[in-house]
Amino acid sequence: MTDKTFDLSRRAFLDRALLATAGSVMAGATPWVALAAGAQTAGAGRVRLGVIGTGDRGRALIQNIAKTRNCTVAAICDSYAPNLGKARQWVPAGTPEFADHRAMLDARGLDAVVIATPLDMHARHTLDAFDAGLHVWCEKAMARTIADCGAMVTASQERGKILQIGHQRMFHPTYLNALRRVKAGEIGTITQIRASWHRNNSWRRKVPADSTDRRINWRLYRESSAGLMTELATHQLQVGNWFLDAVPTRVMGSGSICYWKDGREVYDHVALIYEYAGGRKLIYTSLLNNARYGCEEQIQGSKGTIEPELGRIYQEVPPRALALERMQADVQRGHKRTIPIGGATWFPELPVTTPGESLGWGEYDETMLQFEGFGEAVRTGKPLPGLLRQAYQASVASLLGEQAMDGGQALAWPTSLVTI
Amino acid sequence: MRDAAPVREASGIERFLAMGTRVELHRFGPGDADALARARRAIEAVDDALTIHRPSPATALNEVLRNGGTARINDPLLLDALLRIAAGRAMTDGLFDPAAQVGRADAGWQALHIDARAATVASDRPVALDFGGFGKGYALDRAAAALRDAGVTCALLSAGESSISVVGEHPLGGAWSFAIPDPRSADRTLAEVDLVDEALSVSSTLGAGALAPGRAATVRPMDGVAIRAPRTAVAVDRRGAVAEMLSTALIIADDRQARCLQANGRRMIFELAHDACDGMVTE
Ligand SMILES: NC(=O)c1ccc[n+]([C@@H]2O[C@H](COP(=O)([O-])OP(=O)(O)OC[C@H]3O[C@@H](n4cnc5c(N)ncnc54)[C@H](O)[C@@H]3O)[C@@H](O)[C@H]2O)c1
Repeated sequence: MTDKTFDLSRRAFLDRALLATAGSVMAGATPWVALAAGAQTAGAGRVRLGVIGTGDRGRALIQNIAKTRNCTVAAICDSYAPNLGKARQWVPAGTPEFADHRAMLDARGLDAVVIATPLDMHARHTLDAFDAGLHVWCEKAMARTIADCGAMVTASQERGKILQIGHQRMFHPTYLNALRRVKAGEIGTITQIRASWHRNNSWRRKVPADSTDRRINWRLYRESSAGLMTELATHQLQVGNWFLDAVPTRVMGSGSICYWKDGREVYDHVALIYEYAGGRKLIYTSLLNNARYGCEEQIQGSKGTIEPELGRIYQEVPPRALALERMQADVQRGHKRTIPIGGATWFPELPVTTPGESLGWGEYDETMLQFEGFGEAVRTGKPLPGLLRQAYQASVASLLGEQAMDGGQALAWPTSLVTI
Repeated sequence: MRDAAPVREASGIERFLAMGTRVELHRFGPGDADALARARRAIEAVDDALTIHRPSPATALNEVLRNGGTARINDPLLLDALLRIAAGRAMTDGLFDPAAQVGRADAGWQALHIDARAATVASDRPVALDFGGFGKGYALDRAAAALRDAGVTCALLSAGESSISVVGEHPLGGAWSFAIPDPRSADRTLAEVDLVDEALSVSSTLGAGALAPGRAATVRPMDGVAIRAPRTAVAVDRRGAVAEMLSTALIIADDRQARCLQANGRRMIFELAHDACDGMVTE
């Protein structure tokens, strides 16, 4: 893509996000979008970011940061040399490299860090960065324990430093459009969200000779991950809380290692019910040996359904009455006959297969927008409002779900959370 | 049956769910472009006011009446509906009663005291209103009025196919003619009814409609008995709300009452105890 076409597609993307969030209702519900889209270009004064963890995600983030107008990668850090090497091609020659994050923090020259390390390291890396006087952008989920999530929030509050977590759906025009249409009442009262992330693969990465399974496949070990809950469900629990405009009151669930009995410690099947006030529910399943239903949040209201991953909205339009359809056809061809009525006033309850209506896809760059927003927050010293609370609540929900499954008990939403 | 020049003017269809059933609005010929949307909104407004299946003015009213209290009616639609029901109940000699309850002869409309001017409803014992036997016809009335206001002169409105209302004549001229099927056998017809600027309501204790999940039985208000006799009733009136109340009343009526109800207008009762051919047709 040339600079010019990139500029155009960037502008088009920002316009889509801004259009979706225009008006007082959406501005109140998603205040971070306008702030991020209005981020000032910084010229030479770009926010200098040190990236900790240049694995798969870290390298994707580096490429997105390069597209921003106000951030730049000023240092990279990874304890595994081959991954540092792979990241080199995406940063300016001579960008300092570190094997140890402390050395990177000590070297100075940064405004903030970007953390894309395994889950159990997020808290340590975040707190160390705050100690070094830096702002933090950290990948989801926040931390391995609810207590550590709270500690990260508290530290950011005490130090007066920005803490932003990577929940990119909050910047995605399709999700923003979906929320706008929900707020406009188009799908009626949402009473249930059925969310799933189903894949058909082992979720296992090949382990190079110079590393270990625990390092490479950290997602499969309990000390470093809550598996499907923190790696996948967090995104969808965030969407659930966001669209239901609440946090769960209680969660119950069942988890098992059902198919991939290969020594992993985390569940490869999870099924949970998150209850919300007023009898509303989020029903969640994730599994690793059937991909038919993929990744989706089916947001179900009394007047319609939104499936944001597919980018579609469906109205609760019932199948047409055959007699009346025939009447229409008759009239079109100038033929009049008696209309039989009073047939069944209800119909078999099969899934609706109408194609629905598009919520608007497009080339998306929501990860880039997250960083422009973060850059703006660092520049002004003010966090983008609303983001951290969403992230904290999504992480707590995912970890609480893990506990509910482990203990085989319904668990109430914790009362001891940090206030944001 | 007859053939005529095909209709080429603006026509349109709006299909949606409201009042727990399938609603279809078909318009033909002249009228404002947003006429169907306005008609749909009129129906949804009635649903929003009268539904007892989710929070609504009707639910709030029931909350008070269940405790035998006095409720202020702030919703003009609900107040209008209550007054029309009061008139309909008088017209049907108490047979149409949305406060009737199975097994409770003491429930019922007589427990209510409506003060139209103060817009209050009081009850001296626990009662609850179910607008099911009124709402569809009433909603179609308001939708038909919205269509007429929008300049539409030809339309067919259907709520679950048991409540039909037509605006004007058939697009090809003359009356709209409907065949009412025998609930026991879809290919047999109980009657054919012609409508022009009128509404039709069919009530039945048999058939798919009566068996639909969540459908409440028709209750005789005098003794709280659920009507089980296999019967289908049809009523035609200029107003859908009236047709609706009449068809319910006809299901409950004994012979004498049925004769009174049928005295003016097209009202039919079909006793379906035996084979369809034996059904008593009293038009
Ligand atoms: N938002 C999203 O859509 C999304 C997508 C994928 C991953 N993620 C998140 O990104 C994070 C990383 O995931 P990944 O798939 O890139 O994992 P990965 O294993 O590919 O990368 C992690 C990197 O961190 C490095 N690392 C480990 N310990 C370190 C330490 N102490 N200091 C410096 N580097 C260290 C590893 O060597 C590795 O290169 C996770 O939190 C994950 O949940 C988010």
